[in-house]
Amino acid sequence: MRYASPRSAVLPLLFIAQDHYGHLTSEAIREVADILQLPATDVFEVVGFYTLFYDKPVGTWMLQVCDDVPCCYLGAEELIAALKETLGIQEEQTTPDGVFTLQRVKCLAACNRAPVLQANLDYVYDVTADRVDSLIRDLRARADEAQQRGRSGRQAADFGIAADGELYTTTVSGSPVVTAARGCCTSTSNP
Amino acid sequence: MALTEHVVMRELDIPGIGDFDIYRQHGGWDAYCVAVKEQTPAAVVAVVKEAGLRGRGGAGFPTGVKWGFLPKGVYPRYLLCNCDESEPGTFNNHQIIDNNPHQLVEGVAISAYAVEANTAYIYMRGEFAAAARTLEAAIARAYAEGLLGKNILGSGYDLDIHVHRGAGAYICGEETALMESLEGKIGQPRLKPPFPAVAGLYGKPTIINNVETLTNVPMILQKGVAWYRQFGTEKSPGTKCFSLSGHVNRPGNYEIPFGLPLRELIYSPEYGGGMRDNRPVKIIIPGGASAPWLTGDKLDVTLDYEALAGAGTMLGSGAVIVLNDTVQAPHLAYKMDEFFKHESCGKCTPCREGTHWLVKTLHRMTEEGHAYAEDIPTLHSIYGQMAGNCFCLLGESAVMPIKSALRLFPQEFEQLVTQNGNGQHNGKHPIALESVR
Ligand SMILES: Cc1cc2nc3c(=O)[nH]c(=O)nc-3n(C[C@H](O)[C@H](O)[C@H](O)COP(=O)(O)O)c2cc1C
Ligand code: SF4
Ligand code: FES
Repeated sequence: MRYASPRSAVLPLLFIAQDHYGHLTSEAIREVADILQLPATDVFEVVGFYTLFYDKPVGTWMLQVCDDVPCCYLGAEELIAALKETLGIQEEQTTPDGVFTLQRVKCLAACNRAPVLQANLDYVYDVTADRVDSLIRDLRARADEAQQRGRSGRQAADFGIAADGELYTTTVSGSPVVTAARGCCTSTSNP
Repeated sequence: MALTEHVVMRELDIPGIGDFDIYRQHGGWDAYCVAVKEQTPAAVVAVVKEAGLRGRGGAGFPTGVKWGFLPKGVYPRYLLCNCDESEPGTFNNHQIIDNNPHQLVEGVAISAYAVEANTAYIYMRGEFAAAARTLEAAIARAYAEGLLGKNILGSGYDLDIHVHRGAGAYICGEETALMESLEGKIGQPRLKPPFPAVAGLYGKPTIINNVETLTNVPMILQKGVAWYRQFGTEKSPGTKCFSLSGHVNRPGNYEIPFGLPLRELIYSPEYGGGMRDNRPVKIIIPGGASAPWLTGDKLDVTLDYEALAGAGTMLGSGAVIVLNDTVQAPHLAYKMDEFFKHESCGKCTPCREGTHWLVKTLHRMTEEGHAYAEDIPTLHSIYGQMAGNCFCLLGESAVMPIKSALRLFPQEFEQLVTQNGNGQHNGKHPIALESVR
């Protein structure tokens, strides 16, 4: 067994549910609670605690811009202003076409490449305000791809549930996906 | 002088070390094979103890000594690798996984063997989605090579390593909160004692170490204690990957022996390469968000645990944030405490309420430009009520930015008060308090 207690699977299952439904609806949260035989309130509490779970609809691309120290002194505020201007939305809002949601987040552990953002958890480094137009164009063109992949930065197909109910990642227990995995610093969304 | 041989950032010595075969050709996994086949777990612990390896997660606690705290004869045991890396300015775990993932996995495996754990988890911050794939692939390869799984190399030792992703919460880097999170709960710290070595994950004896700490282990075993101790100082042996960020020309991770002067890290062309636009250094936060600040006249301090403690601060996570004279101390305190407020888990009142009021007051003073004379004693009073009263170190850390700012730059707070009513100081539109969740 991957975990000594089934409850440990709550975060991985919530990621899968979120990727499947686009965001965590109440039904999705209850579904996870049912699978793990937990009180629904426990799972609602978990969803509320962690910032990467979205209990309201979000855009196809979730843009999470780091506004922490040191990014904030290296162009993050200018970047956020440019994104707001280009997208016509404020923080925590979604564009009317449903493609982008904008959020401020805290340090993304890439301060050497400031300013930094993540688009559905893909890193975009050195994203100065003058790169906003091309970035948004690029992401918009890849909206279908993002739709299929989900908001949590990986494919739902990366996970499986075995006959005995065990959750596994296909990279380890199934046929290993060894290729195409290395190098998050060369993320595909980094034009 | 830059190192000619690295302990952790070995991609600088061996291009392509992120590839399993190249890692293996350069002695990778050899130390593990020898350990599992020929050495007792206690012998491995003894080597790590002798090397003097100190935990890189913040406290600098000797790793071998920590491993020795496990109660005898109680099983199962767990090894946890802490890859929550969420403190502002820290980014070396990220780079280790991108560039040298197999050494981390081997380090986890050797350490699990040393503490007699059959299951190890690498807990990664949820944002590290791509890095999680990298590690899963590295682990999958180790299984395929017979280095993990059941009865490894015919030794009778079993080991499984799993990657577990968090979902966005800095507090889950605190060791007991991490265990709560791994058990599927919200990440709120537990009361200590009992310490994790006695009752940790699922109530079992558990050892938790940082990514960089564990990445040191294979090299210590492979090259020996004397080789390792050639780097660093007597009390801080080895090298450290400092994450240098802020207004320097060359931000990045630099692996250097402990004991290098701060000035050299910032100004040497091999490292920081000096300050952007040649502006002066105003503030250095030398060990992550929880470290008391240093002013620009303290550049002669050396980067080791003892010297930084002597200068009234700490080495902490090794995140060195260097800021120039365009940064206002009250604003920096606001941004830092906004981080802590955002990440407070809400379990205890001094931290939950304290960070809330610090941020509210500092936001009004710096972003909105309305400061009143009584704000200064109020700020002193808020952090004074937090200090020593918080349930875990997050709340205690939140005291540092505001306390440092008020101690080192009192005149900047007074200046804000004299500007009272100025509306939009520093000419920008205030960032709405509500825009930051
Ligand atoms: C609020 C808070 C956050 C922490 N975050 C991390 C972290 O992201 N990574 C880490 O290794 N240690 C972190 N720590 C320290 C851990 O609790 C623990 O001491 C460390 O992982 C032990 O590893 P080491 O012995 O290798 O240093 C944090 C501590 C606190 C109080
Ligand atoms: S100090 Fe802050 S983070 Fe720590 S337990 Fe209290 S509320 Fe939670
Ligand atoms: S402050 Fe932005 S990535 Fe660290």
